[in-house]
Parts: sequence; structure tokens; C-alpha cells
Amino acid sequence: MVSIPTPPRIIQPTRDDRLVAAFAALAITVHIAESALPSPFPGVKPGLANVVTLLVMCRFGWRMAAWVSLLRVLLGSVLIGTFLSPAFFLSAAGALASIGVLGGIHWANRHLGGWAVGPLGLGIAAALAHMSGQFWVAFALFVPHAGLLPVYPLLMTLAAGLGVVSGLLTRGVLARLNSVSTATRPADG
Amino acid sequence: MSGANGTRDFDPATRTRGDRVVVIVALLLLATLYGLFWRGDGHGAEAVVLVDGKRWARLNLFQDQELRVPGARGESLIRVQDGQVRFVASPCTTQQCVHQGWLSQGGEVAVCLPNRVSVRILADDPRFDAINF
Repeated sequence: MVSIPTPPRIIQPTRDDRLVAAFAALAITVHIAESALPSPFPGVKPGLANVVTLLVMCRFGWRMAAWVSLLRVLLGSVLIGTFLSPAFFLSAAGALASIGVLGGIHWANRHLGGWAVGPLGLGIAAALAHMSGQFWVAFALFVPHAGLLPVYPLLMTLAAGLGVVSGLLTRGVLARLNSVSTATRPADG
Repeated sequence: MSGANGTRDFDPATRTRGDRVVVIVALLLLATLYGLFWRGDGHGAEAVVLVDGKRWARLNLFQDQELRVPGARGESLIRVQDGQVRFVASPCTTQQCVHQGWLSQGGEVAVCLPNRVSVRILADDPRFDAINF
């Protein structure tokens, strides 16, 4: 064996790193399970993996949510076998757009006080942003045809509906997590 | 940055006013999108007549008229009526152009190859890419 000089200091993963890894693993699992579902429309998925992103954002902030989302798109596509295929670029564009919009809302929420946006609003905004990013990349790169444009409002309507679903799911899971974490608060120090 | 140690309990029940705003904004956005992308039914407003591949006339489909278009073999008769246009008579033998009937949708075409005359409806968003016979 070739002897490799030991690095002076081993990088220790922080607690945040471990959390990102765990949530990304969870998101990737959901992502892959979801990719097995038949879809009535190309580009329309229930977006259940996005629930994980929303949860992480509500509990740990936007930066960790962005990590989880981007890792999911990257590793999920490697595992499904769509890495660097058109589906990957669409997915990545959607994830970037949705992370961008979530970041905007996250920033705005600090100044909104009682009007801050909760999981339902985040879910809707993320889904609409995801669909827009996906659609416009598809339009610009793969099918630059005007005949595609009338489909956009329809896809956005579907996205809004699915965003409501993922938002409500996130709200439900958060309510449960919060009740659990309050119950076990003394233990987890 | 709000990291893991900055975990904030997030009572979903307190965050519904902002959600309502997002729902309203989303509905407005969707209405705008339908307004922008579902405008009209593809009905064209203008047509162009080509003779030998060159633009001979541009027609307003809502201004009824009849045109005698001089082609390679003689005069093709084209009629504009009620937002539609058609070949009425043609000196050609097959009369394909006449049988094509009324055209009204963006992108629709009638061609008389022997007489080198064609009519096409203009539109930003043609309903057809191409038409084959």
C-alpha cells in the first residue's frame, strides 16, 4: 500500500452536517419512492420530497433546507440514473427556483412579524417556483415552441394544488414534532 | 444563521395570516397566467397572399372583399368574408385550393401550386406547425 501522509487535522462533521445528511437521506428515499409513481403529466409529481425541505426550513432555517434540497436532487438523480439527463436539469432548475423563493420568504419573514408565512404558504410558493423553474428551463433548452406556453397555466394550477397538499402535510408533521419535542424537552438538553 | 442549536419551535397555528396572503397572491398569479397564455382561440386577424413566393397582398380578414390574383396560369379568385378567407375559383385543373375551403385559424394555408398562389393566415401563435397533403 502506498502510505498516505495523514492530514494534520481530520475534519469533524458538525451536528448540522449530520442533520443535513440525515434529512437528505430521508428526502432522497422519498424522492426515489416517488419517482416510481406513474405520472399523468410529464413534470408533475406529488412533491412529497419537498415536504422534507419545508420541514427542515421550518425547524432549522433556510441554509440547511437548501443543502437538503440540492443534495437530494444531485444524489437522487445519481441513484435513479437520470444524472445529467434532461430530467436532471429540469429537476435542478425547479429545486434552485424553489430554494430561491423560499430564501426570499425566509428573509422577508424576519420583518413580517405576525404576517410571517407558515408551512402552507411556503409549500404553495415552493411548488409554484419549482414548476416555473422547470417549465422555463424546458422551454428554453428542450422545447422552445410557442405551442407549449398554453400548458403553463395548467401546470401551475396543478403545482398550486400539490403545493397545498405538501404544505398541509408539513404543517401536520410540524405540529406533531412540536408536541413531541415539548414533551421530551427535559431529556434532550 | 439559524443552525441546529437555533431550533425554533414553530407553532403552525400562529402562522396562518401570512399563508392567507400567499394563497391570494397565488390565485392572482394563476389568473394572470391564464389571461396571458390563454388569450384568444388562435383565430387569425390577418392573412397574406403570396404569388410566386412573393407577398402580393396582406388582407384584413374582417374587411369583406374579393380579390383577383394574377398567377402563372391566370386569375385566382380569393374571397374574404366574416373573418375567413378562401379560394373561390382557380384556373388550375385539380382545384385543391378551392376544396381547401374557408381558412380562419392562425397558420392555416391554402395553396394553388399550378397557379403559384397561396393564402396563409397570420398569427403570433399558429395552431399548426405545418400541414401535409
